[in-house]
Amino acid sequence: MKLQQQVPRNALVWIIISMFALVAPHALRLPPWVLLVYVVAVIWRILVYRGRWSFPGRSVKLILIFSSFIGVYVSYGTLVGLEPMVALLLTAFAFKLIELSRRNDAYVLLFLGYFVCITEFLFSQDLLITLYSMLNVVLVTTALVALHQPGEHQFNRGSIRLAGVMLAQALPLMVVIFFLFPRIDPLWTVPVNNHMAKTGMSDFMKPGDVAKLSQSADVALRVKFDGDIPPVSALYWRGLVFSRMQQGAWSALDYYDVPVKQQRPREMRTSGDALEYTVIMEPSWQNWLYGLHYARATTPGVRHTADYRLSTLSPLETEYMYRVRSWTQAQAEPGLSQWRREIETRLPPGSNPRTRQLAQEMKALTETDQQFIDAVLNKFSTQDYVYTLQPGSLSELHAMDEFLFESRRGFCEHYASAFTVMMRAAGVPARVVAGYLGGEINPVNRTVIVHQFDAHAWAEVWLQGQGWVRVDPTAAVSPERIEWGLEAAMQAEGSFLSEAPLSALRYRNIPFLNLLRLRYDALTYRWQSWIVGFNSERQLNLLRDIFGEINTRVIATVLLGSWVLVLVPVSISLFRKRATRQVSRPDRFYLKFCERLARLGLVRSAGETPGQFFLRAEAALPAYAGQMRDITSLYNQLAYAGTADGEGADASTLDTFSRAVKRFRPSR
Amino acid sequence: MMQLQGVIDSAVKEVGKVLLGKEPQIRLALCCLVARGHLLIEDLPGMGKTTLSHALAAVLGLSWKRVQFTSDLLPADILGISVYDARDASFSFHPGPIFTQLLLADEINRTTPRTQSALLEAMAEGQVTVEGKTRALPQPFFVIATQNPVHQSGTYPLPESQLDRFLMRLELGYPHPRAEREMFERRHSAIREIDNLQQCINAQQLEAIRVAVSKVQASDSLLDYLQRLVACTRQSPEFEVGLSPRGALALLDCARTWAAMHNRGHVVPEDVQMVLPAVASHRLVPGGEYAGDGMALVDLLLRNVDVIGS
Repeated sequence: MKLQQQVPRNALVWIIISMFALVAPHALRLPPWVLLVYVVAVIWRILVYRGRWSFPGRSVKLILIFSSFIGVYVSYGTLVGLEPMVALLLTAFAFKLIELSRRNDAYVLLFLGYFVCITEFLFSQDLLITLYSMLNVVLVTTALVALHQPGEHQFNRGSIRLAGVMLAQALPLMVVIFFLFPRIDPLWTVPVNNHMAKTGMSDFMKPGDVAKLSQSADVALRVKFDGDIPPVSALYWRGLVFSRMQQGAWSALDYYDVPVKQQRPREMRTSGDALEYTVIMEPSWQNWLYGLHYARATTPGVRHTADYRLSTLSPLETEYMYRVRSWTQAQAEPGLSQWRREIETRLPPGSNPRTRQLAQEMKALTETDQQFIDAVLNKFSTQDYVYTLQPGSLSELHAMDEFLFESRRGFCEHYASAFTVMMRAAGVPARVVAGYLGGEINPVNRTVIVHQFDAHAWAEVWLQGQGWVRVDPTAAVSPERIEWGLEAAMQAEGSFLSEAPLSALRYRNIPFLNLLRLRYDALTYRWQSWIVGFNSERQLNLLRDIFGEINTRVIATVLLGSWVLVLVPVSISLFRKRATRQVSRPDRFYLKFCERLARLGLVRSAGETPGQFFLRAEAALPAYAGQMRDITSLYNQLAYAGTADGEGADASTLDTFSRAVKRFRPSR
Repeated sequence: MMQLQGVIDSAVKEVGKVLLGKEPQIRLALCCLVARGHLLIEDLPGMGKTTLSHALAAVLGLSWKRVQFTSDLLPADILGISVYDARDASFSFHPGPIFTQLLLADEINRTTPRTQSALLEAMAEGQVTVEGKTRALPQPFFVIATQNPVHQSGTYPLPESQLDRFLMRLELGYPHPRAEREMFERRHSAIREIDNLQQCINAQQLEAIRVAVSKVQASDSLLDYLQRLVACTRQSPEFEVGLSPRGALALLDCARTWAAMHNRGHVVPEDVQMVLPAVASHRLVPGGEYAGDGMALVDLLLRNVDVIGS
């Protein structure tokens, strides 16, 4: 193989380093055998480099390709979807290393490396991941640089410097493109695989589901209030409304379950100032959003449902930011439609007979619905009901009977569910609402961080003249949960985050670590609101703020203008660097002369002096011998007869020379 | 100026009488001596190395001595030695053959490095230090060394440091058939040409040439070309070791001398190209696939380095 095509050792080492760096963030998501493939591929390639092994043959390669397909299929159960596709890509990426023999292969591998770097963003757009990906870009670029330094036989760090300088030059352009380049929605969507373990609310709730969710310390959403933050115990983040009970589980109404005329939410009378806030949701892979009662979103694209929830059209696969105005005192649905009343009082026939009987007896003893509610809550708080994260399992059909009369151990969803069933059994419209309660106030930037363990379920009861009223039965059992949060409520039990021993939240009693955690969270908020949440709409707003009316011409002008602004300084610095060895004027004319001869097929080779070239040209084009002789001797005089400091090339000679070249128009 | 080229031409012609058909090499050899450099002639035995050295000494009118280097030659044999003189009851220094204007060091690579290195000071400084006393050598002082190709048996290759002291290295090569035929025909003529060579350049003329050389101009464009050449030897993977600054200076000096010898007041790229093989080939260490072939390397330089900057 020619020297030019070999992959230098320095480049090979950089390639291997960058490959491992690229696969590292994927490591936890990939099946372990893919990582094994990487290790084997690197060992194989190193042994090839040492001359012990050889490159794989065609049949071996085919076998490897097929087995990787089979491996991905076995691991994921499918080949379609984001995760299997990325796994396939990463496996192919590893295989490319063992057939890396010439420089062209390295190009393919490294350009693929840039692509692999992007795939990480399909899973996370975290600040740290972004910084890490930038490091990866530097590494891949370094390998690319090393590939072009054939003299560097030993591994060295010189290449990374050059790569860093090159990428630093590209940074301003990156910023410009980020803020100004038109953001086009994807033309296709990749099916998101549910293989990934996700935490969050689901639109289907059985007793015990929220308790399970409370083991997770993941962030669900971050909220920034425009004004003061209301008391944490009043922050009921409504997400889902469960109006239907089937087989012991609560589920939300589908869009088409609602009669057409009632699908749009009724306008509500609002009074007073609204709470205004911005919510950034972590990807939930669901399409509902969270907001305080009664929420109206000002972000386009957010839908409002008949039960006063917010939702989007498609599931959230990335962080999502929206603006909300909430009127906490507003009356919801003061007049209840017949259909709605019927739906909100329906119970599965034959289920929970004891609960129903109890409810009807208690209802008979009270006069108003409000008194009945108080009686039920009183029952929870005075009798020996336990609020616990470990409620034990319940049977499917008569779960509420079992809970109310036997186990008496439950988490919020048990109490909300039991309360709602009792209400409905007594003919009072009621429903379960799921969402989050409270949150942690980050003192660094005054945001409210809502974690998954803040997940909560409560009830809403419809009262004549008041509309839907929030009732939280958990407050009756465990007031600490409402006032101080889950951790305080579970202090005695010690079950808070017992399944997440490494969560930073567990160490918040160490002030230094806690401050670090909160500072990082504040940074994340800024990152998400500025970078991740920067979509086409915000872009348009930004441009509108700066340039006023926006049309195609303005965008094109701004884009081109800013590119020019960025590129001009770079060009000037390059030009200055060049200026010291700028092509002098005689050289320029002489090169023009060569160019004209080259058009006739007479190309001056690099090492040919003007004199030698003249002799060759004279033999080929005798008709122009005189002109060419003049030009050559004038050039020799101008370029070489002058002194070293450039004097002596007097103006008239240069003039004669340039005119001679301009006149010279040879043809065969 | 005209007269200068005439002087050189007559010298070349004179040497050409004994070394037939080798005009380019003779010109280069003269160029080397005019540029005050030492000359290394490398070729197989019997190619006329010694003849060329003799003839050069004769036309330059220099006093010369010849030392045949052998493997048992010692430094003292060249530099000289103090001998006890019984009459004076003291040591007196007997100068060695190095005390001359032109030293012919025949087959220099047959001797041990120890003896080779004895020449080092003389070549670099124009002086020798014997028994703690530094003695100046006559001026001008030239060394014309001949050597057999390195791969022949019984040779001690000259170290790079010593190779670098030689301004030029020449290879003579087989003569042209026509020249060889003429050689055959002259074989039995009564006159030994080498004894009858005329001195063509005297000390004043040599000095005049040097003055002329010092006035030769090297333009920006030419220095750029020179730097591109040097840079190429330092950056291309084909070269293990590039041209040293001393080598680069040698290249410039020789190119100027060559220009002066051709009656030009300025250097043109052709001058550089003419002297480059002789000046650079022994200083470059080839690497990679060019291993062992300095000439192929020089070819590569001449072919690939652009004469005109772009």
